[in-house]
Amino acid sequence: MSESSARILVPVGESSTFRNTVAYAVREARRVASETGEEATVHFVYPVRWQLVDEREQSVAEEVAETLDKARVWATDDLDYDDDGELASEDVPVSIETAVIGEDRYLFSPGDFATVLLDYAADRELDRIIVDPEYRPGGSAPMLQPLELELARSDLLVEEAPVERVVERSRLPSRANVSKAVTMFAGSFTFYLLLAGVFDTFNLVTGAVSAGIVTAVFSRITFVNTPDASRFVVRTVRFLLYVPYLLWEILKANLSVAYIILHPDLPIEPEMQRFRAAIWGDLSVTTLANSITLTPGTLTVDMERDSLVIHSLTQSSRDGLEEGALERAVRFVFYGRSAARLPSPAERGAISSLPTTDDTEEDA
Amino acid sequence: MTPLEYAVVGLVLVGLFFSFVAVVGIIRLPDLYTRAHATSKSDTLGTVLSLGGVALLFGAEVSGVKTVLLLLFMLITNPTAAHAIARAAHDQGIEPWTKSDEEGE
Amino acid sequence: MALEQMSTFETLLLGAAGAFAAFAVALLYRVVRGPTMEDRVIAINAIGTSTVVILVLVAAALDLPGYLDIALVYALLNFLASIAISKFIVERGGVL
Repeated sequence: MSESSARILVPVGESSTFRNTVAYAVREARRVASETGEEATVHFVYPVRWQLVDEREQSVAEEVAETLDKARVWATDDLDYDDDGELASEDVPVSIETAVIGEDRYLFSPGDFATVLLDYAADRELDRIIVDPEYRPGGSAPMLQPLELELARSDLLVEEAPVERVVERSRLPSRANVSKAVTMFAGSFTFYLLLAGVFDTFNLVTGAVSAGIVTAVFSRITFVNTPDASRFVVRTVRFLLYVPYLLWEILKANLSVAYIILHPDLPIEPEMQRFRAAIWGDLSVTTLANSITLTPGTLTVDMERDSLVIHSLTQSSRDGLEEGALERAVRFVFYGRSAARLPSPAERGAISSLPTTDDTEEDA
Repeated sequence: MTPLEYAVVGLVLVGLFFSFVAVVGIIRLPDLYTRAHATSKSDTLGTVLSLGGVALLFGAEVSGVKTVLLLLFMLITNPTAAHAIARAAHDQGIEPWTKSDEEGE
Repeated sequence: MALEQMSTFETLLLGAAGAFAAFAVALLYRVVRGPTMEDRVIAINAIGTSTVVILVLVAAALDLPGYLDIALVYALLNFLASIAISKFIVERGGVL
């Protein structure tokens, strides 16, 4: 490609070709810089899927810091800096930056990852993105291709690092994939038999075949993380504790909504609010959003960046939201008892009302 | 009628009541977001109670298990659907109704 | 099953199913009135929910377990329809 740039952004994560991608990025930066005389810089960024709220996530944070450190060390190595941080030869200097991004947002879809990366690039005026071909933004879910597609929608230069795949993807499935496949197969097979209702040979065989097909096609995209039996059991038990509480809340919610709806005056004062929930991860946010929707006078409308947009029916339902009992309960289900002790959303200032814009076009 | 049948009819009737509330809400409430409240809460509970009644009737056999499965499915999907619709409206820029809009109508 | 053999219990269940059917008809008001596409989708979703309950109640009243399977499939379709429509309204066929 003729138009290349020495200002490069590299999203990083642990992968088998991580080392070579770093080398390639640095080499490219230096090559282009020496040709064009541009100031060369390479930014290694780590998009993260959560925010640090308590110590539980500390180990993950250390891993991230370690990965970024590695990138920096390797890059400096490749650039022949000596111990004093001085360039040994007459080479063009390349500045190396590392950053953790996405802490203030929910990252789920490839689009979300692309947005944070592009925002960062725009911020630092980087105009070229080099992607590690083995980069796994979504954990073990295959997300690289859609991510590259999303990135390519911008006017930045996006390319995959042309690195040798050191380890050919082995024919033998990895342990993670096996446990995913087993979980998936067991789940769909059980479901099939439940629906069939009769455990004769015909159903067992057709069920096994169907479950096999489903597993082959979907097992890699159904789970983001490797299924972990012990964590699953713990969460299920906590979830069962959560259910009666939720049911009680739902009942209360319905009585109050029934009262409001059947009241001749329709006593509602709806309002939109933004709620920065201290919860991360697909499943837990979904649980919280659905619980909010099911309980007194609140409805999750949208999820923007780092917060939920909530529509509430009455003032009393807003008060309930501010106490944060539900949020606490969901934190308990997913992170355990210690995580449930957190200041209420009102104390954290996590709730703000959403200003209504007056200049919206009406399309009825 | 047996006591079990009384319990079933009771559950179905309460479910019927909440579904009625949902219908009144959907027809009566002023805007989309408030109507979504009606479907996501009242309609869900109405459905869940009615299905719960039927599950009780079928008892611990395949039909009962299926009904419970259906119940759980409704419990999860109903609020999710309401959320998806409200989100679509929000993305589209439809403003929520507020108390002050009342005079305008 | 002849009508005169039906017990009070079965009649009550069928009556409840009838009431749900009436609700579905009432909801048609919102489908017709709108005013926005989303309003219609909400109402249609609620009609679908009623339909599922009707199917289950009929299955219970007339002892037709086969109806439960239909109800399950219907519930799935109902949910998918709502999601698909609300996605389509906004994103016009973008990545789901």
